[in-house]
Amino acid sequence: MTAAIETVDLTRSFGATNALDGLTFEAGAGEVVALLGPNGAGKTTTVRLLNGILRPDRGTSRVVGLDPQTQGDDVRRVTGVLTEHAGLDDRLTARENLLATARIRGMAADHAAARVTAELARFGLAERADVPVAGASTGERKRIALARALLHDPEVLFLDEPTSGLDPEATRDVVELIGSLATEHGRTVVLCTHFLGEAGRLADRMAVLDRGHLRAFGRPADLAAELWPGLAAELDLGAEAAPEVVEALLRVPGVLSAAAVPSGAEVRVEHRDVLPVLVGVLVAREVPVYAAVPRPPTLEDVYFALREQA
Amino acid sequence: MITALITASGAVRDPEAVRAVIAKDLTAVRRSRAVLLPMLLVPTLLMVVLPALIGLAATRATTPDLSRFLDGLPGDLARPVLELPANEQMVVLVNGYLLAPLFLIVPLMVSSVLAADAFAGEKERRTLETLLHLPIADRDLFAAKLLGAFLPAVTVSWVGFLAFAVVSNTVAWPVLHRVFVPTRLWLVMILWVAPAVAALGLGVMVRVSARARTAQEANQLGGAVVLPLIFLAVGQSTGLLLVSLPVAVVIGGLIWAAALFLIVRGARRFTRDQLAATA
Repeated sequence: MTAAIETVDLTRSFGATNALDGLTFEAGAGEVVALLGPNGAGKTTTVRLLNGILRPDRGTSRVVGLDPQTQGDDVRRVTGVLTEHAGLDDRLTARENLLATARIRGMAADHAAARVTAELARFGLAERADVPVAGASTGERKRIALARALLHDPEVLFLDEPTSGLDPEATRDVVELIGSLATEHGRTVVLCTHFLGEAGRLADRMAVLDRGHLRAFGRPADLAAELWPGLAAELDLGAEAAPEVVEALLRVPGVLSAAAVPSGAEVRVEHRDVLPVLVGVLVAREVPVYAAVPRPPTLEDVYFALREQA
Repeated sequence: MITALITASGAVRDPEAVRAVIAKDLTAVRRSRAVLLPMLLVPTLLMVVLPALIGLAATRATTPDLSRFLDGLPGDLARPVLELPANEQMVVLVNGYLLAPLFLIVPLMVSSVLAADAFAGEKERRTLETLLHLPIADRDLFAAKLLGAFLPAVTVSWVGFLAFAVVSNTVAWPVLHRVFVPTRLWLVMILWVAPAVAALGLGVMVRVSARARTAQEANQLGGAVVLPLIFLAVGQSTGLLLVSLPVAVVIGGLIWAAALFLIVRGARRFTRDQLAATA
């Protein structure tokens, strides 16, 4: 996969505070990378460095082959940014906000007007297009800002909390849109978010940042495998497993751990092929088995485990 | 026209982008009562209401003896006033000379208010970062912000002066039966000194806005700097109108030099990195 974004040892401090310290990662074309971390982790600083509005103290970066330090305007021509705060001028209408951006981006007046109308309609804002933004709800502001970020069909999108403030329906639409931008249109998306479920649905890879340091980077499943060996599974036995049943489970080759839970037992096995063997053992002991369900760790499990390690 | 000149001079890379930023800022200002009201109210009071009231009073009052006051003025100024009939002296002195210094408050105030909105206001509204993420060169953005404040300041000043001239000549007509504003010194003030003062207000606010987080804070900080300048301007320009034309031109030149010094220094510090670090 061609790298759309590459950073090596990217570092930036503000006074005595290390906002970002030695960040190295890459994102391929058409990939969605989630930057995860608490406030102050360095997510916004990363986006600002990649879009050439901050200069690094150390390290290098490339965005679609361009150097943000020396080719900042060229980078910004092919990127679209949704900042955490929508950044709309309340005194202007949605259309005026978008038109100003389109014109600054160098679009001809006719083309700009057509693109603005199309993007506003895409986000269900046609009726609000000519009303000052001051009266818009948080969700509407977010949608206007998203429409603005997509006006010029950017190759790379930096989205900071794209669904915060949106209602469930709008959230679903935006998540689907981001997914389709990456998978169908080959756009690279860097997603900064606190919503781990959203990141889990969208991100191919995740970068966990903490106080400017990259704690982990990779596919959630790979990171989970590094954190926890084997596969977790839940055995629904209709009631808490008796101690002798747990002992019997532990004696099965390939079982790493077993523990009783109110609905039965939780086990960790080396491989999913061990599960049918476990079911056989239980059936042989005349223990009813209602279900044996693998429980791969969620992105949330991975994130919090990494945070605890940090 | 000025953007065309700037384009021709090569001072900006992308004149269309500059024009787009100016248009956006001016549209926003037109919609903002907090910015628009002082911009219209103060010039109306200074350039229309005050000269009308004072002019009417001066033409209707019993003719005062101004000889002692005029004797204290430099000969260049006093002579043409002293040569007038006694009933004309008061209105010519007041509307032709003594009100003139107040005129400089208009470009200074308008450029300061607009610059505070354009620079510190962007931070306050959290719209600055959005601008920084767009493909517009630092110097183009700076030029757009400057022109967006400078052009309206000069326009308001010139329109205000036109109104002043109409009002002054109208109220004085029953006594003078001729047009007496503008004088040659007035023209120097309008065309040379007023734009310089507008630029000076900009230069001050560019510096102040780098530290302020809101437009109000910038206006307050700027006020601390601008107020003494206003008093200085009042005092100086009273003298300015009392001295010869070449001296007025020189004083205008000095204000231009101070303004350009501040603006150039401000431009050097106007980098994305600095702005983003404080946004």
